[in-house]
Amino acid sequence: MNKSIKELHDSLKKGEVTSEDLIKEALEKSHDINAKYNAFVTIIDDAKPTSLTDNLLSGIPFGIKDNYSTKDILTTGSSNALKDYVPFFNATAVQKLLDAGAVPVNKTVLDEFGMGGTGTTGHTGIVKNPWDPKRMTAGSSAGSACAVALGVYPYALGSDTGDSIRKPAAYCGIVGYKPTYGMISRYGLFPFASSLDHCGVLTRNVLDAAIVVDTMKGIDKNDMTSWDSKDINLYKSINGEVKGKKLCYIKELCDLNNYENPTEELKSHLNNFMDKLEIFKKLGIEIDCVSIPKNLLDALPSVYVAISCAEATSNLSNLTGIIFGPRGNGKNVTEMMMDHRTKGFSPLIKRRLVIGSYILQKEQQERYFKNAQRVRRLLVDAWKKLYEKYDAVILPVGSGPAKHLDGSKDILTKDTAPLEEHLQIGNFGGFPSITIPDGFVNNLPVGLNITGNCYDDANILNIAYALENAMEYKNQIAKEVR
Amino acid sequence: MGKYKAVIGLEMHCELKSNSKVFSSAKNSYNETPNDNISAVDMAFPGTLPVVNKKCVKDALKMSIALNCTQPEYMYFDRKNYYYPDLPKGYQITQMASPVGVNGHITIECNGEKIPVNIHDIHLEEDAASLDHYYDTSCIDYNRAGVPLLELVTEPCLHSALEAVAFLEHMRSVYKYCDVSEADTKKGQIRCDVNISIMDYDATELGTRVEVKNINSFGNVYDAINYEIKRQSELKDQGRYEEIEQETRRFDEESGTTIRMRSKADAIDYKYFVDPNLPKFKISPEWLEEIKKEIPLLALERKEKYMNELNLSDYDAGVIIKEREYAEYFESCLNIGIDAKIACNWLTTQILGEINKLEINIKDFYLTPSLLKQIIDEINKGTISSKQAKEIFYKSLEEKKEPKTYINSDMAQISDNDELETIINKILEESQTQVEQYKNGKDNLFDYFVGQVMKNTRGKANPVITKEILNKKLNN
Amino acid sequence: MNNKFTKELVDDLASKLLIGLSFEENKMVLDEFAIIDENLSKVENIPNIETIEPMTHTLDDFIFTLREDEATSSIDIKDALRNSDATEGREIEVPIVVGGDN
Repeated sequence: MNKSIKELHDSLKKGEVTSEDLIKEALEKSHDINAKYNAFVTIIDDAKPTSLTDNLLSGIPFGIKDNYSTKDILTTGSSNALKDYVPFFNATAVQKLLDAGAVPVNKTVLDEFGMGGTGTTGHTGIVKNPWDPKRMTAGSSAGSACAVALGVYPYALGSDTGDSIRKPAAYCGIVGYKPTYGMISRYGLFPFASSLDHCGVLTRNVLDAAIVVDTMKGIDKNDMTSWDSKDINLYKSINGEVKGKKLCYIKELCDLNNYENPTEELKSHLNNFMDKLEIFKKLGIEIDCVSIPKNLLDALPSVYVAISCAEATSNLSNLTGIIFGPRGNGKNVTEMMMDHRTKGFSPLIKRRLVIGSYILQKEQQERYFKNAQRVRRLLVDAWKKLYEKYDAVILPVGSGPAKHLDGSKDILTKDTAPLEEHLQIGNFGGFPSITIPDGFVNNLPVGLNITGNCYDDANILNIAYALENAMEYKNQIAKEVR
Repeated sequence: MGKYKAVIGLEMHCELKSNSKVFSSAKNSYNETPNDNISAVDMAFPGTLPVVNKKCVKDALKMSIALNCTQPEYMYFDRKNYYYPDLPKGYQITQMASPVGVNGHITIECNGEKIPVNIHDIHLEEDAASLDHYYDTSCIDYNRAGVPLLELVTEPCLHSALEAVAFLEHMRSVYKYCDVSEADTKKGQIRCDVNISIMDYDATELGTRVEVKNINSFGNVYDAINYEIKRQSELKDQGRYEEIEQETRRFDEESGTTIRMRSKADAIDYKYFVDPNLPKFKISPEWLEEIKKEIPLLALERKEKYMNELNLSDYDAGVIIKEREYAEYFESCLNIGIDAKIACNWLTTQILGEINKLEINIKDFYLTPSLLKQIIDEINKGTISSKQAKEIFYKSLEEKKEPKTYINSDMAQISDNDELETIINKILEESQTQVEQYKNGKDNLFDYFVGQVMKNTRGKANPVITKEILNKKLNN
Repeated sequence: MNNKFTKELVDDLASKLLIGLSFEENKMVLDEFAIIDENLSKVENIPNIETIEPMTHTLDDFIFTLREDEATSSIDIKDALRNSDATEGREIEVPIVVGGDN
């Protein structure tokens, strides 16, 4: 299970292992790690082997974030509001994988409804970082990142509204990829913020990410925002040729001089990033330093909060305990719905919904919501301008390795640095964006991110593949370092 | 005319005809069995997404064009957020920022007078589920959830209950002529909200606006408006006008009164925002042109055409255009060469009488225009009398056999001039006294001679030719 | 800081969202909002911000098609009802709903 998809496929083909063997191993490992790291809501013990086909995913186990609807399998969104919910249909992306013969073996823990970046707010408890259980995995695709890093299976599905695939990937030392908005149908994915939500995958190498998304993607009659990508074959278009490619990084985010009292971790993280850029240049890639207005970058976290909370307020309005979810108590319907929601949502969600509701108020919409949408456009336009000249923007992920659990409060604080939040640009613009591990700080993994222009997924993955091969962190399996 | 000027605005919700719902592919049709026309989208299961029905967009645009509205360059939708057990998503998908039509205008007829009505906007949205109420529980049926609705909002430009109902009737006719809705109030397909205020005739500022919500028949619209005008007028008479609040009321059918629901202060903030799940759709001018071509000549336009070009009376033309199918029947008659007045007479008397009696659609009426023509042709040829024509009409209907089956030689009129002249000569010879009297000025004896000819021929003499010959013989 | 953002307003907003907030939760909203408000205030100072069209959709550069008007068969009634804690016959049951609707 520590192997890549292609290696597993070849082993299956040669008869060295069977689908049954792989499933058994994945299930055993799931049980083993769950006690310690709490990565799963459900372990699918009765997972059945499938026959080997030409599809590289056939017969191979994988994990599904618990906000993807799975037919006849509990799907909770890691929330008490849906703690007993069993969908009667599969999310389109899940169905496509099942059709390819892939075998789901567990449902992974997330921050409740994907609304959090710590991996600590799921209704089944905190997900711990496989490199250091005192640290967080980040989120919201916490369980998926943890399980892939520990080698339970080669890949797990994630979803990404702000950085929910790409940040936990960095903290767990693996690859996290969210393709262009609409490349994978969102049908059946529990919504957080519809204009920012993306489906994607967590893997241990870039090729695996390409293989999985090739199967998940495609236009879907059930999702009007999905588009036809039949002419795109990510796996086949990766060749590692990157000579002459152009990348840029942003001065305001990467220059240590912009930080007043940088921590040692931040220093090492940024220095490591700059060192790696030198390696990449040797591949024939041109890398420039560019500047983005500071006021735009500073506004980024608030723009994200405003838009995501506002949309979430509306998206979570179907959770009333009437059609699904536990019934609330109350004398009348309103009290009943209120009881359901009060008990069903964690404090974090409640706060975000209230903020979203305030932002959407008639009197406040112009100032908060619409202005946030305007700045979103400015930021997206600024990035699109970069794409006129560059293939992609390359940036370090976060301000260092995984954060300590005891210091975790998923609250927007004044010193929240744009460095922690810049991945949200990928969601604002619907840009393809991939995180790959780029080294260690304090023996803990850190990552870098490459974000390119819409529909340019093949190019982005190809660059990521070349960079990955220029470093030595590909296919790494997490081991506790302390 | 009342003591005060009433100012009325209408919001008319009308269910559209389609195979599937507006944002899901569940069936759009009335179903007695609860929850038998539903999809996961209609019940807002987590992760489901709306997908817009092309026909609904097209029909909404059709109405927008028919009402002379301006169409937007891009079509998109907004979410109207509120909690109610009949609204599974917790929001209704509707159009706030960019409706399918704005700034329209039409002319309606009320009491023979032409009245201009300004349309604020017309927009496409989805219906809610329906609730069945029991002793201490309500049950939710999602069959109606997601049924396409068109909401039309007028400017406050109507001034009486009669005008309001005339407008609604007019709109109902437009919907039916355009074939976008059955527009059947009995099936609950039309629901209205009414805004009413009163003011002095010489005042320039509008009075306090009261909204009466969710009225489900035109009769109730009429009663609610009149009740509100009376209520508000009485308060104004008593110097208590300030007691009228900007509020929402509902109409109570039993008492015929309106009852307060909530004041403006309690108005719900629906927190409208653009739904990101439904991408902006560009409405091409070519598509609009295509849709425009599908709009038939509407009732009032047809009425004018019938009156001006075919010289029908206001009354007759009014009867024919009442339903699109009547007008179409009438026009089919014209197309196969039946004279307009004759077609009109048959349609407005015999045919409508029969279809009302049989309670059928004119489309299912046995005597199609071409079968009707068989009868009319025989009258024109003089083969049968109008009395015989009617007999054939009913017989043919009853036995469902073509009229020509009943037209036989025995029935044939005597239209042969020579034959008639011989008979007439014989009668005149035998009636010398009467001929004398007639020539001396007793004019009414002319009918006597006609009667004699009929008697002699057992009613088969062609009356026109008979009169012609008699005229020639007696008046020269 | 927008001084209209008060504890009472937070409670009112929450109750309209059908959510009950504890005292601590209320305070956290207020604290968090102070930061957002401050940041978005900076946004207002971006020159000509009001002339920019709000970005409501993620992608608006591809042509998508509307759905053809074809009906599919209804979902199984058992599927429709199986996650609800209170059903009656073919319907979902709630305490009686009184008063007007919207």
